[in-house]
Amino acid sequence: MGHWTPELLSPAGSLEKLKVSVLYGADAVYLGGQKFGLRQASDNFTYEELAEGVEFAHSRGALVYVVLNSFLHDKDLAELPEFLALLSELKVDAVIVSDLGVISTIKKHSNLVIHLSTQASCLNVESAKLWQQMGAQRIVLGREVTIKEAAKIKQATGLEIEMFVHGSMCMAYSGNCVISNYTQGRDSNRGGCAHSCRFEYSIDFNGATSGSSEEANKKAYFMSSKDLEGIRLLPEFIEAKIDSLKVEGRNKSHHYAGTISKVYGDALRYYREHGNFLSSDMLLWEEELRKVSHRDYSTGSLATYAGEDTIYNQREHDDNEFVVSGIVLEAARDQHLLVDVKSAFHPGDILEVMPFKGPTTKLRVDFLKTLSGVDLVKSKPGSVVKIPFLPGAEKFNLIRKAVRV
Amino acid sequence: MKLMTYIESAAELETFLKYKNAELDYELILGCDALSRYSKTTIDELLTLVNLAVKDNLPVVLEWDALYQEERFQKAKAVIDHLPLHDFKAIRVQDPGAIHYIKTQFPWMKMQVILENGNHNLEGLKKWEEYLGDQCERLVLSNELSKEMLKDYARELKTPIEIQAFGRILLFYSPRLLLSPLEKEQMRKSTIEASGSSEESPHTGFPLIENQHGTFMFNVKDLSLLDHLKEIEEMSIHCLRVDMRFDNCFSNYLNAMIDLFSGKITEISPEVKKLHPRPLIKGFYNINKTDVLFTKLKNKRTQRQDQNYVGEIVDVERDQQLALLIKTEAFKEGVASSVFMITPEGKEKTLSLPWVKMSTGESINSAGKNDLVLIPYINGVTVKTQVYLTIP
Repeated sequence: MGHWTPELLSPAGSLEKLKVSVLYGADAVYLGGQKFGLRQASDNFTYEELAEGVEFAHSRGALVYVVLNSFLHDKDLAELPEFLALLSELKVDAVIVSDLGVISTIKKHSNLVIHLSTQASCLNVESAKLWQQMGAQRIVLGREVTIKEAAKIKQATGLEIEMFVHGSMCMAYSGNCVISNYTQGRDSNRGGCAHSCRFEYSIDFNGATSGSSEEANKKAYFMSSKDLEGIRLLPEFIEAKIDSLKVEGRNKSHHYAGTISKVYGDALRYYREHGNFLSSDMLLWEEELRKVSHRDYSTGSLATYAGEDTIYNQREHDDNEFVVSGIVLEAARDQHLLVDVKSAFHPGDILEVMPFKGPTTKLRVDFLKTLSGVDLVKSKPGSVVKIPFLPGAEKFNLIRKAVRV
Repeated sequence: MKLMTYIESAAELETFLKYKNAELDYELILGCDALSRYSKTTIDELLTLVNLAVKDNLPVVLEWDALYQEERFQKAKAVIDHLPLHDFKAIRVQDPGAIHYIKTQFPWMKMQVILENGNHNLEGLKKWEEYLGDQCERLVLSNELSKEMLKDYARELKTPIEIQAFGRILLFYSPRLLLSPLEKEQMRKSTIEASGSSEESPHTGFPLIENQHGTFMFNVKDLSLLDHLKEIEEMSIHCLRVDMRFDNCFSNYLNAMIDLFSGKITEISPEVKKLHPRPLIKGFYNINKTDVLFTKLKNKRTQRQDQNYVGEIVDVERDQQLALLIKTEAFKEGVASSVFMITPEGKEKTLSLPWVKMSTGESINSAGKNDLVLIPYINGVTVKTQVYLTIP
């Protein structure tokens, strides 16, 4: 375990997802309270959940960062000091912030460590220097910055640098899109993004000012970005001494949180042990990343500035190789597994149980019963069922099923 | 009231000088394609404009509002370093990197700081003021601010503020080139203009621009606060920006704007307004309620409240039992004799607990966090029902 690797920072959209991310290998998680974050539609955390989440993560050596990265208006800001006191009391490891008013309020009311959010679109050395003077200890760089540029920023400032390694991408400079504000009446920079960039648009090159010409229009998802996948660039991240690798996706599924944490966690662990990524598992890791719901992958701007090949010119659709069948709620030794069903499966199906470490194990559904023992012909999402016990299976293990070969 | 407007060519400057009158208080914003988001002016043309401005002693301000990753930022810095900055009255900057660069390398140069992205609270604005000190000549504020907020800020800030009074509303700014891949013919152009419409949106005809800085999308309606000049002036906001760079606005509007800002007329005539290709709106000037819909984005009833919380129903077997996933230590010292429940639909139920069992069927007297227990069935309860201790 002699070789240095960056921190793996995974999303925690809910308490359950926090546990999944940590158990599957995240070194740190980021999450939001009921206010001040950018994912108003996520479950987010109540105070008690936050307390439990911090305790759970810390007891397993993982850090917890709390997002306060909305562009807050005065009335929102007035409520912030009370929340900061709670975060200090819980000993969260840092807060992620994009607004100078929020930074100023944090410094006045707490000693919380400040990470500058990608929402602030910090893109260059001079910008990082400014935010450093304002009190940021870590910068989450804009997703438009290359790893080489990030290395320069780190070298010039000595700041901790965090970069996105995986997940969905805004096409716009983060914090520089207000489409939802004007078209849907929802502030995208306070958590109300309506994802208008994923729509199909008809582009009229002739009627530039009126939009009236129907001829020569091109239909395209021209503002939709492919997803980021940086696993092949882990050596570059390490060489650049990037401190933290962030996985996007607080709104995404347990399957996503678990799989991405496990894959990147396994890859980084391999490097710590061997000092390289020359593992026969590299192909397997990439294969695993394709098993979660995703758009086509690209490396975004990590190696070179994002080009034409990073546009996801397709309608959003589910094209999953695997779906998560459920999460283990209880493993009653030699009796059964209790599974919180997320998608339907049948007796006789072959499922895969994902352990927290190591390869998946196949499990044949020899029986499928309700909690009272009645045989079922199909499991129903939103129910709990009994299936055969599998040695090694643990609470919070994910169970998945291939849907496409 | 000071008119801030853009001049993009010597011909425009000549026209402006022809129309301007002695009563007009104004500043001219000059940019170039290397530094400004939408400018088509080359560096040579900018230098020509600056020379003309110096000759006539015109108040000109340099615009540097494009955003840059590190490599591109170095090139922008090189441009800045070679411009005759002393000929400008101030520089308008937006990227915090540009702000820091000007502050440290050109401490004598006044800055008009563009804070149009976010910066929707007084605390932050005061912090910018404090950081920039005397070098900050003006704060250019977001057009998402309502007049109530603007009034407060104008009163509380030491630095004069500027807002946009007329022009396109920028919705989206990406460094990626998104239009040229669709129309290879267009790739030869340094600036591509188009409009976009989506069947998934009720709005049609979003103006689009692609140039060396990336791709920009604007709102389908343009901003006009021209009917509120008096009210804005009464708030002690004395600088208003009028952006006439698009849609032939410069030729259609310039004369009227000069007359309006110099007090010769009190409103733009309907004939001139009719020339505008898109509807005009006040944006968020009257009120900004873009957070009120958040409460509808999720069902608050399925969200736990901390007080007296026990857990969540995760399975229902009709007429048999409910499966309760315990999420707190509420049953640690012993299970309660009854619980209170709120269903996702908002129905409230109280349930006696004559028995509580493990999934294996054994009765239990206590249960810990993350345990799954079985409790008696009650009609009307569904999965995601939240369970609380009944308070006597």
